[in-house]
Amino acid sequence: METPWLVSRRGILAAFPGLAAISAASGAKARAALRFGLTPVFLDNDWQLLERLSAHIEESTGLGVEYVQRRTYKEVVALLLLGEIDAAWLCGYPLLQYPNRLEAVAIPLWQGRPLYRSYLITADDRTVEDFAALRGDVHAYSDPDSNSGHLVTVARLLELGERPEQFFARTFFTFGHRNVVRAVARRLARSGSVDGYVYDALAATEPELLARTRVVWRSEWHGFPPVVVGSEARGTRAEALLLRALFDITQTEAGREVLRMLQLDGFVPPQPDSFDSIARLMRLVSERG
Amino acid sequence: MRLPLAMPLSLRVPLLVAGLMVLMGIVASQLVLSALNRAQVRQLTDLAEIEFRALSTSLGPYVQRDDIWEMFDILDRATLREGSFRPISAALVDARGRVMVSSLPEAHPIGSNGAGLVEEAIRLDDIRFDAASERIAVRNTVVWQGRPLGQLVIDFDVQEFAAERRRALFSLLLGNAAAILILSVAGYALMRRVLAPVRRLTREMEQPGGTPQPIAEALIPARDAELAQLYHNYNGLILAVQARTATERRLAERERYVSLGRLAGGLAHEINNPLGGLLNTVDTIRTYPDRPDVVRDSAELLERGLKHLRDVSRTTLDMHRNDDGASPEKVQLALQDFDDLHLLIRPEIERKAQILDWRIEADGSCCKGLPAGSVRQIALNLLLNAAAVTGPGGKLGLRVKPDGDSLCLCVWDAGPGFSDSVKPRLLSDEPVEPGGGLGLRVVRDLVKSLGGTIDLGRSVHGQNEVRVRLPLRGRHV
Repeated sequence: METPWLVSRRGILAAFPGLAAISAASGAKARAALRFGLTPVFLDNDWQLLERLSAHIEESTGLGVEYVQRRTYKEVVALLLLGEIDAAWLCGYPLLQYPNRLEAVAIPLWQGRPLYRSYLITADDRTVEDFAALRGDVHAYSDPDSNSGHLVTVARLLELGERPEQFFARTFFTFGHRNVVRAVARRLARSGSVDGYVYDALAATEPELLARTRVVWRSEWHGFPPVVVGSEARGTRAEALLLRALFDITQTEAGREVLRMLQLDGFVPPQPDSFDSIARLMRLVSERG
Repeated sequence: MRLPLAMPLSLRVPLLVAGLMVLMGIVASQLVLSALNRAQVRQLTDLAEIEFRALSTSLGPYVQRDDIWEMFDILDRATLREGSFRPISAALVDARGRVMVSSLPEAHPIGSNGAGLVEEAIRLDDIRFDAASERIAVRNTVVWQGRPLGQLVIDFDVQEFAAERRRALFSLLLGNAAAILILSVAGYALMRRVLAPVRRLTREMEQPGGTPQPIAEALIPARDAELAQLYHNYNGLILAVQARTATERRLAERERYVSLGRLAGGLAHEINNPLGGLLNTVDTIRTYPDRPDVVRDSAELLERGLKHLRDVSRTTLDMHRNDDGASPEKVQLALQDFDDLHLLIRPEIERKAQILDWRIEADGSCCKGLPAGSVRQIALNLLLNAAAVTGPGGKLGLRVKPDGDSLCLCVWDAGPGFSDSVKPRLLSDEPVEPGGGLGLRVVRDLVKSLGGTIDLGRSVHGQNEVRVRLPLRGRHV
């Protein structure tokens, strides 16, 4: 069985950026470990994944890893901005909210590309075929700062000329892509916005959960959630060590195991236009007036 | 309920004990079940209070923030717990009666009407437990920081409690049944033992064919004062009856001799009467010894007279011998016996110048199987009684006739009939009052021993009549 932990890359992302530790804030003393931010979007048993990730980074760089877990992207971003953590695996949306303070340093490859997309899902026994048919639903979002779990759906509604706050009868946040799938599968929500990568990964780990849902709509492709560091960490040795650990992840057994669990292929440096599509959605929402 | 009186005491008492045990078992079981119910309700209430307190504390902040997912997750996780008393489902209903969240969103979607859920649930402070139900819905208000946030309704699984009650009921039934069975059997055995002396007494009193005998001193239970008293009383009773019987027998004996005495007087007269004529005939023979015709006539006269005397003496001897009990039962009644009776009674009748109507309408076959001595005694006593109550010159009679399977002896007289004080002697077994003769009681006893009956009635001529019916082939008691 593969990658039970997988799921929300938010948490995973948070893991890497350890780097910064050294420098900044406290200055004088060099830290012995990378502090990596996580959100609880991981699956329950993701500790195995984290252990392997720690093992890989330690093997590659000689640095230990200290995980810091928070519930929302906002909290993790706050820790990054405060320098309380060195790096985190975040979504492109919060990254773009702080273009001067946060920087993407690596993007995972999923199915060979640094891209993913958002799904709108509903109950498997429901006979709706398009977005418009979801009007009046109780709808589950993932996180207010999630691109695939919130921004994409809101932007799409605006494109359709709908008012997002009125289209659904009721919305709520589950703070986890897997929770969105659970909410729909259990019929707590009639539809949900979910990360396509997480949704597809669940097919291998929790097929019975997925079987009670189906995809109604798929978004365009966006830049895959990147590993992010604070601007203070740019150019530091810690960043260099972290990047080496990420780009060489296939070099260790633990690293390959991490990729297998995450169902990813590796990490690549981001391109300047990697998150342009997300930026477009952000503009659409902010220009709504 | 009335137990059949025919049921023996040794069965009635254990049955009563069993009945009382059943009653006691029902009452005790009810008390136990009721106590169990109270204990279970108390336990349910405690567990439910803990559950509500924990969930309210967990839910409070999320309800306040309207965090549906966390509310759902908390309720959902609560229902996934293991244990004998766990929530099966839970729902939170707001003040307007709408479902805020439910662990069964399919059944109770967000925003649906939840008033029914609240109404059907019982209050936490009023938990009741119906043994038949496997789940109970309980509700309580969720309060966070002093503010009521909604009604939490939890459906609890109480199968274990119901099963525990069923087990208790089963154990009680089994225990009671065993106790009733054991006590009934023990009660039966005990009663058998306790009543054994009474049964012995009963057996003694029911001895077939024989007269009851006193119980030997060795068999009297010395340890049980009441029973010993009963046995002693019984022995006293038996001895008193035996004494009375002996007295009656002696009196009857005397009566027989009295009647014989009366007969003897008559017989002497009977014998004396022809004696004068016979002596005269002897003188005639002496006077005319040479006249053959006179001698022949006189001899014939002598022969007739002597034969008469022989008959009289033989009859008296027969009577006496039978009465002495020389196997009288072996001598069967014959018509000749009535001739003898006539011979015996005639002197008494003639002495009182009475008129005797003598009708023997039966033939020999009608007398088959009847003992001669007893029948003669019956008829003689009745005739002597009739002669006694009928004044000089009065009429009396005997009529013997077949009556179906019986022989009927009817003795009538012109007397005044039996007085009330005399009738019981003939018609009942009541003790004979002192002062009177025993002739009629002897008749009564003899008729009874022959299985016969005695009636009082009127003869065809309207006189008082005693009718004795003796069965020819009946049982002789």
